Order: sequence, then C-alpha cells, then structure tokens
Amino acid sequence: MNVNPRMNEAPTPRRFPWKLIIAGVMIVGFTTLGITSLLSSSVEYTNVNRAERLGKTVQIVGTWVKEKGSSYDQYKNVFSFTLRDQDGRIVPVVLNGAKPNNFEIAVSVVAKGRMEGGVFQASSVLTKCPSKYEGQAEQ
Amino acid sequence: MIGQLGIHLLFGIAVASTVVYALSLRQASKGLEQIGRILFRVLTGGLVVSAVALVWLIVTHRFDYTYVWNYSSRELPLHLLVACFYSGQEGSILLWTLLVAAIGSVLQPYARRHGYESSVMVFYGLILSFLTLLMVAKNPFAYYHETFAASGITALDVPENGRGLNPLLHNAWITIHPPILFTGFASMSVCFAFAMAGLLRREYHRWIDIALPWTLFATAVLGFGIMLGGFWAYETLGWGGFWGWDPVENSSLIPWLVVVALVHTMLVQKRTRGLVKTNMILAVISFVMVLYSTFLTRSGVLGDTSVHSFVDPGKFAFWILLIFMLVFTVLGTILVMYRRHDMNVNREEFGFKTREFMLSIGASLTMASAVFVTIGTSWPVIMEVLGLPKVAVAVEFYNQIHRYLVPAVLLVNGISLVVLWRSTSVDRLRRGILPSALVAAVGTIILALFGIRDVWPLALGFAAWFSLAINLREAWRLARSGPAMLGAYVSHTGIALLMFGVICTSSYSSTFHAVLVHGEPKAVGPYTLTYLGKEQVEREFKDREKFRYYVRIERDGQRRVVAPVLYWSDFNQRQSAFLEPGIRWGLINDLYVSPKATGRENVLKATTVMRGTTVPAPVDSALRLTLVRFTMPMEEGPSADGRMQMAGVVQAERNGVTTELRVLTRISTTSAGPAFDPVWVNLPGSTYSIGLTQINRNNDDPSKSTGTFAFYDTSKPMPRAREEFTIEFSDKPLISLVWFGVIAMVAGFGLSIGRAVSALKKKSPLAAGELSPSANVESKIDQAQTTVGDSDKS
Repeated sequence: MNVNPRMNEAPTPRRFPWKLIIAGVMIVGFTTLGITSLLSSSVEYTNVNRAERLGKTVQIVGTWVKEKGSSYDQYKNVFSFTLRDQDGRIVPVVLNGAKPNNFEIAVSVVAKGRMEGGVFQASSVLTKCPSKYEGQAEQ
Repeated sequence: MIGQLGIHLLFGIAVASTVVYALSLRQASKGLEQIGRILFRVLTGGLVVSAVALVWLIVTHRFDYTYVWNYSSRELPLHLLVACFYSGQEGSILLWTLLVAAIGSVLQPYARRHGYESSVMVFYGLILSFLTLLMVAKNPFAYYHETFAASGITALDVPENGRGLNPLLHNAWITIHPPILFTGFASMSVCFAFAMAGLLRREYHRWIDIALPWTLFATAVLGFGIMLGGFWAYETLGWGGFWGWDPVENSSLIPWLVVVALVHTMLVQKRTRGLVKTNMILAVISFVMVLYSTFLTRSGVLGDTSVHSFVDPGKFAFWILLIFMLVFTVLGTILVMYRRHDMNVNREEFGFKTREFMLSIGASLTMASAVFVTIGTSWPVIMEVLGLPKVAVAVEFYNQIHRYLVPAVLLVNGISLVVLWRSTSVDRLRRGILPSALVAAVGTIILALFGIRDVWPLALGFAAWFSLAINLREAWRLARSGPAMLGAYVSHTGIALLMFGVICTSSYSSTFHAVLVHGEPKAVGPYTLTYLGKEQVEREFKDREKFRYYVRIERDGQRRVVAPVLYWSDFNQRQSAFLEPGIRWGLINDLYVSPKATGRENVLKATTVMRGTTVPAPVDSALRLTLVRFTMPMEEGPSADGRMQMAGVVQAERNGVTTELRVLTRISTTSAGPAFDPVWVNLPGSTYSIGLTQINRNNDDPSKSTGTFAFYDTSKPMPRAREEFTIEFSDKPLISLVWFGVIAMVAGFGLSIGRAVSALKKKSPLAAGELSPSANVESKIDQAQTTVGDSDKS
C-alpha cells in the first residue's frame, strides 16, 4: 500500500507512472491469458484423414449415412452411426451419450472427438437442421 | 402486392424522415423539424400496420404468403400463431424494426423536452432506414407463388397447410423471450443516438445525464432477455444447464457486457467529468456490437458452430447487414475522431483510492470479457478470413478466461463501494475491506467444508462472498434513504448470488445415467427412482403423439413425482422423439430428469435399413444384411389372432454364404399409430435372433422405405418384456440462485432507472452551457453535493 497519498491531486510530471504500469500489466496479462487459452482450447474443423493423422480432438462436419443405420445402446449409453465427411470418406462414429435431437432430419452433423483405432470417438454431436428461428439441436 | 409496396414505402419514409431531420438541424428550422417528426410518426404507424397485417395473415392462415406458409400451420393455438410472427428471419427483422420505432416514439418527445430532438432523431432515423432496407431484402409479404415461381407454381397453387412451427418452440417462452430480447436490442440504439447527438452539439457531458435512464433500461431488459433464454433452455429444451457459450447466446451477451461497462463509465463521468472520450467510444461500440451480433447470427457465417440454426439470408441481406455494421462503425469513428481535441477537456487523473478509479478498472475487466467472448465467437470466421484452417474454440476457452475475470470483477466491485469519489482515507479503506475479507474467508472455508475443493471455485467463492458482504452492508446503511438509492447494491448482490449458483451447480452437480424398468425401483446415487408409467396428453392433436412419463424420486422417505415429456411429431415425420425434462424445483436443489430413450426404439440392439441397401448386423459385423423388399399384407394373410402381417425379406451373408430370411411382423392399429410385434427368426451361424420392429413407409418413393430390425441373444434370457425408460438424472444444488441472482440484478437496474429519471427532473433541463470546459466547474460542485458518497463523507 505504498501508494502516493497525493495521487488524487493534479498530476505532476515527476510522478512515477503507476497508471501506465497497471495498464501495461493488465494488457500483457490479458493478452497472455487470451493466447494461451485460445491455443489450448481451439478445435480444428477437418476431415477424417487429417483427424487420423492428428490424433487429437477435432470436429468433423459431415452427413449421416442413412443406409448404414444408427443404434443406441441404452445400457452403455452409447449411440453409434456412420458419418460421411465432406471429402466423401466414411467413418463409424461412437458417441458417448444418447441420440441427438433431430438426428434424422439433420442436413448435416458436426461430430467433435478424436479418431481411435478407425472409429471416431465423439464427445458431442451437433445436428444442423433445416429449421427456423431458434431451431434446436442438442449436444 | 400491397404488402411489398408498403415495405418499400416505409423505407422511403424512414429515409425522408432522416433527411428532413438532418436539414432541420442544418438550418435550425422548427418547421422542418415538425415535418421530420410527422414522417417519423407515419413510419411508426406504418410499421404497426405491417405488424398487425402480418399477424392477421398468420391467424387467418393465408398460406398464399410464403412467410405464413413457412412458419405457421392450422394446428397452432392462437398464442403460438402470434409468436409465428417473429419465428422466421423476415418477421423477426420486422419485430426489431417495430420495437425500435416504438421506443423511438417515446424517445422523440423525451429528446424534444431536452432540446435534443433533431440531433437524436437524425441518427435514430438512419438506424431505422437500414432496418427498413433489411425488411425490403427480407420481405415478409412475399407471395408463395412468387417465391417458388421457378418450380412452376402459379398463383392458383395455394398450399393447404403451412409447414408449422418447430415443436420445441411450442411453449409460452417463445411468446416472451424473443420480444424481450429484441426490446433490449432495440433500446441499445438510443444511447448511441444520444452520444452521436452529443458529439454533433459539442455537449460532451449533458448527453450522459439524458441518456443514462435509457442505457440502464437497455441493460436491464437485455439482461433479463438473456436470462429468460437460459431459463427456457433449462426448463423446456432439456439442455441441462442455463448457459453453454453457444455463439447465439454469446452474441446477445457481448452487447450486454459492453453496455454494462458503459453504464459504469457514464456514472464516472456524471460524477467526475472524466472518461468523456471513453463514453463516446463505448456508446459506439455497444451499438456496433448489436449489429455485429445480428450479423454473426443472421448471415450464416457461423453455420457449423452453433446449436441454433438460421436459414442463410441470401446475398442481398448479407451485404446490407455488413454495410449496416460498417456504416455505423465508420460514422461513429469519424465523429469521435473529428471531435477528439474538442473533447479533451479534463485531463485530470483519477487517484487509486477513488471510486472513479475502481469503476474504471471494473469497466475495463467487463470490456476484457466482452473482447474475449467476441474473439472466441468470431474465431472460426477470423480463421476463415485469414485463409487458415477453420478452428472453433471449445467452451473451455470461455471458462478459462472467466476464471480470472469474474473473481477480479467481484473484488473490484466490493472495493469500489468502500472507496469514495475523489479520495478515500487509508483508515476507511481498512475499516471497509478487512471485515468483509474476514467474512469472505469464513464463507470460503464453509464452501470448502461442503465439499468444494478446487481452487477456482473457491477463488470465485471468496470474491463472491466479499462482494456480497460489502453490498449488503452498504445497502443496510443506505436503506433508510429509501429504495431508490439501493439499485446498484441490489444488482451487485444479484451478481454475487448468481455466481454462487454457478459455483454450486458447476462443481457440485451429480449426473447419473439410468435405465428404469416399469414398476421396478432402482437406486440411482442417493435416490431411488421408479418409472410409474406413461400417459398420453394432447390427444386432440392429430399431428403429434405426446406422452408424459411419470418418474417417482424417493430419498429418506420423501417422495416426489416428476413428469418428463417425450413426443413424436409430424414436423420431423415422427422419425425421432422430442424431449422435455421433468424438474422437481427446489430452493436447495433441483432434481432434473431428462428422457433419453424409450422402449419404442431401444429395447434391443437395433438398426434401420433402407430397401435395397446392405448394413452390418449390429451384433456381429461379419454378418451383412441386405433388405431386399417388404412383402405385402395380402401376400402374408392374417396371423392366427387376426392381425395383419408383413415381412421384410432379408439376405444374410457371412463369408460369401448367403441365406434368405423372411422376417415377419404382426401389425395392430392403435390410437398411437401402427404397433409392430415381431416374429423372431434365428440368424444363421449365430446365437442371435432378428425381429422386424418397425416399418417406415416412404409414401413419396416406396423403394426408399425403411425397416427397423432388432436383435437379441437367444443364449441369454429374453430382454425384459416390460417397458423401459432411459433417463439422465441430475441433482443440481442451488441452481435457484442463478435465477434469483439475475432477477435481483434486473430489479436493481429498475431502481436505478427510477433514480436517474428523478435526478434528471430535479435539474433544469436547459441549465448547463457546456461548450466551454470552464463552465463545468460549478455544475461539478453542484453534482458533488448529491452523490451517494456524500453521506459517507460527513
């Protein structure tokens, strides 16, 4: 608390630039915080090939291959279906959770997860519906 | 035809009103001002007529209008039909424009009283010109036959029924949430218009007093609207939480954060005459962020990243939105830059131990939050514009940032109430902070004893206790001065409570997955859950099949029944169920039951196959099944008990050996549609049996009909015949604080509006001649005597 008690008076040129230092520290701190958070939490949109190469969490935009069906195991709480990515490659997807809302009418799905042994292990599947105003989907 | 012409006409009137107001400003002409005013009233009247006309078309089922066809249907009750007015883009733009105009017709006499009419209305009119231009692009009065002229539709082809409203939106919230949110958005224009008027008139202080009640109003209403959205998601949509950092949620949060910062910096200027430029800049940003949010959520640029979906608005609307945003950014920037030296009136610095300094820090932290949320939300767009691979940020980004920001804001809030305007003694600082810090420390220990062990929730808890203690103490001291003084304290208490709710639900909730069997109690965590059976509701509607599933929750002899809802709707051809949670509301905790699946689709392992396609058997991937065709009831004849029979002809192939199976199912007709009772057939070379549990006939193209086949292991006991209900069950402690907190926050703003308005009335409206900086000194002294801090000084 060694703050100049005359701080609230008119500025004098000799004074130590506390304000600048505080502003500087805040800006540097926030920038660092922002960049590290961005780097650690960004998730790339990509295709199956790259997801396989990267081996980390990514998002794949694609469509459900209807002919291959879908199934939900309610005891394990696992939903599985087949996804065709935007380059046409097909991959089985296993979602930890129930069937997403509007799954059947979705025009596309966005699966977030990682490739593990030829299967895309998804933590969430977003469905994009040809719907309206706040047409819903669920994770 | 009339509707479409009318919209073009409205655009013309909006432009005319703006131009006339601008001319009246230039020539200081009362007559022109009056014409501008009349034009503005005509515009408002025209918008009201358009809105009423659109509602009328919807209510009378005029499906020859594309919008009516696209968003409504005959089945909807009146309150939902009215809501259809704004469930599409065209209508929601009309609603927004209408609300801007409606607020404008309150603003215009208000501004006139303060001598600001032309200078405010010229900017306000410009905003309305752009909004009406958007309406021209997204005209709600387009005819069906015009929209689909390319597919050979003529004026004689009027659809029998509309496409209807997404069943998830069939509840009271859609009649409440969007109008409130749009009122919030619309009222953000006012503060911007006043700031611009202040710049035009070179009155850099007076606009603050006049605009403050409006800014408080915008903050309160937008905040309330955002909370209602969260409540809707929690109560009806079954997302399980109230906030998910979704782009659409973020896009309403960003302008709110900016306007919260602005309210505080405006307060600083009111008291100290500092932060003149900051306020101008923030007023511009707050409005531009409203436009940016609209752009993000309506232009389709965030298509893949949101759980909300919006139809692509088309090129024209996209460019109008973009230009709308750019015009106001450039306009605001030019005006601020042009006047920057003129505004350079008070170069006085704030001392550290002053309220103005603390409020500035608090506003900076709030702005930092706004900046980070903006960056996070825009990240996919930024990366795309830069030509880099598209990347989205995970929810973790927002959590990580706010782990630092929110506790800091709460601490600064606490301290800002201890320090006084202009200067504070070290002794007062110590007396104010130490007891509250002690309370906060004890409170944090209590949180830890209740099982919260992570450092971040505890840090947030400490900050929230600290802020709460100081706010309550100050509120208690000021209570005798009447409720009008308490606005800020009530709001900040609300925020602290909200944070407690966030801490408890995020780090102390427990969630279980459970399969409940009809009538059998099942232990789930510390609770015993029993599925008691279901009841069909809303039977009068033929377009849906809706069930209430009763689940009993028991603990320590206490019993509660909740009723999650699951329904099938023609909206998605009954392909998958719509779900609503069942909630046992409580002050201490909520018990939340989300339906996940029912016996209808998921008793056994199952797969759905289209005719003519091949899939691997879900129980054995070496076995490939091809659905060749369905046999007709005629072919099969009735079953022994007289039920209709059909069969799926399936080729089962393993290692090149193909067996053809005829999988029969018996069909009975129930009120809820056909029910399928499979005749189980053994799968060659395995212990599994296959049964046909559902046939989905595709009426447009029977060759695309699908069958659902289920499998079970004959070596194990037959799966239960009793009905099963799969749920996710959560115990959410103190989530009630989230709602109470936000309500307190909004109520606090309400009190502050009252105070700001009455403070304004006390002053002579034409008092301050603010053109010269020296004239400020007297009013500064005058103001200093009416500050909150004064009661402390004595």
